[in-house]
Amino acid sequence: MNRDLLTRWRYRLIPNNVVGEILSKTWIDNAVPVLMLALLLAVFGTLVPNLLSLGNLSDLSQTVGEYLLMGLGLTIVVMAGGIDLSVGSVFALTNLLIIVLAGWAGLPLWIAIPLTLIAGGLVGLVNGILVGYLRLRAFLTTLVTLIVVRAIVDSLLLSYSQQIGSAPINSKVWDFLAFGSVFGLSVSFVAAVSLAGVIHVVLTRLRPGWHVIAVGGSRRAAHNAGINVRRTVCLTYVASGMLSALAGIFYAARLMSLGAETGVGLEITILTAVVLGGTSLGGGRGSVVKTVLGVAIVVVITNSLLRFNLPSGTSPLALGLILLVAVAIDVRWVKNRRKLLDQTYVAPTYFELPPLPDARRGAQTPYAVNDLLAVAEPIGLGLLDGPEDVILDADDNLYTGSRDGNILRLMAPDYTRIEPYVHIGGQPLGLAFDRQGNLVTCVAGMGLYMVRPNREVVKLSDETNRTLFSIIDDSRMRLADDLDIAPDGRVFFSEATIRYALHDWMVDALEGRGNGRIICYDPRDGSSRTILPRLQFPNGICMVPDGQSFLFAETWGCRVSRYWFDGPQKGRVEVVIADLPGYPDNINRASDGTFWLAMIGMRTPAFDLAQRMPGFRRRMAMQVARDQWVFPNLNTGGVIKFDLKGRVLQSLWDGAGNRHPQVTSMREHKGWLYLGGIFNNRIGRIRLPDADPTWTSAASYWGQDA
Amino acid sequence: MTTITRTLATAAALCLAVLAAPLAAQDASPSAGFYDALKGKKIGFVPIAMGFNETQAWRTAMERQAAALGYEVVVRDPNWSIEAGIQAINSLIEEKPDVLIIENIDNRSYNRLVQKAVAAGILTVQTQQRSEVVSDAYMGPDWNEMGRNAVDGIVQLCGAGSGKNGKVAIIQGALTAPASLLQMQGITEALKAHPEITIVSNQAADWDATKAYQIASTVLKQEPDICGIAGFWDVADAGIASAVKEAGLQGKVAVITSGSGARESACDKITAGDFAFYTSYNTAGQGRDLNAIIRTLLQTRPAPGSKPFDLVSPLIRITKDTMTPSSCWTLDELKQIGG
Repeated sequence: MNRDLLTRWRYRLIPNNVVGEILSKTWIDNAVPVLMLALLLAVFGTLVPNLLSLGNLSDLSQTVGEYLLMGLGLTIVVMAGGIDLSVGSVFALTNLLIIVLAGWAGLPLWIAIPLTLIAGGLVGLVNGILVGYLRLRAFLTTLVTLIVVRAIVDSLLLSYSQQIGSAPINSKVWDFLAFGSVFGLSVSFVAAVSLAGVIHVVLTRLRPGWHVIAVGGSRRAAHNAGINVRRTVCLTYVASGMLSALAGIFYAARLMSLGAETGVGLEITILTAVVLGGTSLGGGRGSVVKTVLGVAIVVVITNSLLRFNLPSGTSPLALGLILLVAVAIDVRWVKNRRKLLDQTYVAPTYFELPPLPDARRGAQTPYAVNDLLAVAEPIGLGLLDGPEDVILDADDNLYTGSRDGNILRLMAPDYTRIEPYVHIGGQPLGLAFDRQGNLVTCVAGMGLYMVRPNREVVKLSDETNRTLFSIIDDSRMRLADDLDIAPDGRVFFSEATIRYALHDWMVDALEGRGNGRIICYDPRDGSSRTILPRLQFPNGICMVPDGQSFLFAETWGCRVSRYWFDGPQKGRVEVVIADLPGYPDNINRASDGTFWLAMIGMRTPAFDLAQRMPGFRRRMAMQVARDQWVFPNLNTGGVIKFDLKGRVLQSLWDGAGNRHPQVTSMREHKGWLYLGGIFNNRIGRIRLPDADPTWTSAASYWGQDA
Repeated sequence: MTTITRTLATAAALCLAVLAAPLAAQDASPSAGFYDALKGKKIGFVPIAMGFNETQAWRTAMERQAAALGYEVVVRDPNWSIEAGIQAINSLIEEKPDVLIIENIDNRSYNRLVQKAVAAGILTVQTQQRSEVVSDAYMGPDWNEMGRNAVDGIVQLCGAGSGKNGKVAIIQGALTAPASLLQMQGITEALKAHPEITIVSNQAADWDATKAYQIASTVLKQEPDICGIAGFWDVADAGIASAVKEAGLQGKVAVITSGSGARESACDKITAGDFAFYTSYNTAGQGRDLNAIIRTLLQTRPAPGSKPFDLVSPLIRITKDTMTPSSCWTLDELKQIGG
């Protein structure tokens, strides 16, 4: 018992789900460069005096700014699957050009700077046309541009360096570009970082950026998806040219120098930075943040090595070796990340269930197994696939979801005619009619949707407020499960878990943690708010007729609770049944004012014990193949009837398990009980001898005229 | 003498000796402050790159003196990169050495850094190429004079009275470097007096032997009857010499060059017939000049930038005929006697 207490606290205090969630983030790819940068800063910061001093960082910020501008350009090109070696030459050309235009020709800067940017863009356009439209090889083409542009610079210098060399540029703007500082950082640095932000948004959030990544990922697939691959490739080179031109302008402002060495070999430095950051040379994988990190690493390394007073050539050698190591680590990381994630994502915690009630045949409890469901009439046998929930309209037609993303309608009275009612795309789970006769449904992986009587599908909600400090982006809905509608039209729906999608929903049982929540969608302003977080696979929701509260079932918690969303007790949660013998699913109203509850499976002593042994489940998830894991028993289930006081009044089973071995929902309608099961191939119905033969669920919600 | 008088005499003598001691020290050479002015000081040196004659010689000379006088020379090697040079100078400015020696890569790139160093109170010396900004001292050749010297060589080998056609090619260094720029100006001015010389080609090899070789080979193909090729730096001009040799024109096409005066790259090549005319700024002497500048600045401690002066390197012309055993130097010698 004491050990249990310790285990419980250990798992309460140390959130072990964090590791897996961090690993599942795309930004975790940046872990290698971030660690490397931290390591380098720690090592070099100790060995090299003043490396991290404010003065040095401020000096370096100009270099970083220019490198970053060029790095951003190269990142865009590389992400589209290309390479641009001409960046160093464009840098030299634009450095010369701005000095010629603004200095020698005396043009005002507002003309000279755009002209220079256009010149850089034109070189990029040449690359772009050759590589993008004429399909020449990027490496060779830009290598040629590198040489040609360099030759142009050299010949211009040969003829004009004396004339242009000494013309000053007297302009406050120019001086600001060169020496201005924003919060102690150079203008070029601030400009580069701002542009990095813009480019990050473009690449990750906007259409042109997605096109770039798509083209880099797979040209053919991008083409088939209707993307203009050639234009996209071409434009990446134009962007690269213009960004290099901007770097050249800042460099010119800083040094006002026509040095013949300007930009020589710079393409290697920039390429090193981009690759070091983790942007893949194969295209399609990379980010602006990676390049920022890569540039920082390269500058820290070169600056530090310079200060070690090493002999000539050591610094590039060291840079090369570090690049090699970084690439090796990166390759291993990319290869093994998935494996690591698979091993660590499942994060079990301690959970203790109340004692298991006896449900054996002949037991002296209301749960005693019987065969009442064994006589259920099959509906749509073999034609349905995963009818999780069932509902009937005023004309007695039957609706259910199917795994292929449709809502099916089975026509009354004999239910032999089946038609696809609407196609939604994800698997519809919970179903409910609102006052106007719209069919509202929870769609796995998509969110909350509504189908108007004219079969128009409307998205009601697919995001809610994000939890502060949550690593997983829980604003998106992964597994909306069941819903019910309050008299004022508000929709309360459960999201079973935020950590797993529908195909993995059973794995959530291994965790024993409250990964799910209940969300309220308010049609008056279209907003969605999470009202009950951290529930253990919240599933069925059913309005209590008082109009102020609803019942909800937590599947892995094996309990039913009541929540007041309105009235004097607003916000209160009360457990109605704490110790179910099985895993509850949907809850629906019964004609006599009580409630039906479906059970998808039964508890077993072995799994109950395992829930108290998180270490065991963790080792199992890490070391054993998935098909050998201990899962909850989902092969036997049934229906129970209970009242608001938590008294279980009746239970219905299919003891032999031939027709309804597990039940996910049931709906009472005109003296019949309709049964759904997410693993079943049919809907079943049994007659309820004592039930009111005129009672319908819709009428109990919205009145007789509904 | 009594014991007492003897004791008194001894005491008096001792007193005299004690009193005389400071006087004797004042008379000694060097002055008392000399060693203190240099001891424990820090000299920062940023060359264009280590690993060639000039910078090696300067470093050897400076380190020999530093070891003797107890100060430190810190070298930051940017290896031909302007960007690395800027970082190297910035890092040294942060570290505040007593003297900062900068070898300019061109006439402008380090301007603002030289100003920054001076403003930071560091005595700043520019070597070999002077930027547009004045600091405390400049040590290096007068490049204009170097150009005029080259013309003397050109005229001597190809001009009037040589019996040659006067066709000459020029292969410069890096175009924006003063060593190229000013030397070319000197050549242009001096050639005005020699209309018999025609320049058939004028290109830049960026101080690179491979580039110089390529340019020279092309020139030799285009102008096989050329009389001479003038280069601006012996290390790069080794490329010109091999192009000439390869074309089988050694002895017919004269290579005019200039440089540090290191034995292997100057005298040995003159003996071998690679170079016909060589102007040396004698880097061994330059090392001594640098040391003199360090000693002077550290003793006089002017306010940085207040009293700038130049130590212009005297030039030595070397041909096969004028060469003597002391025309050139070697690094091994400098390690023994340099500075």
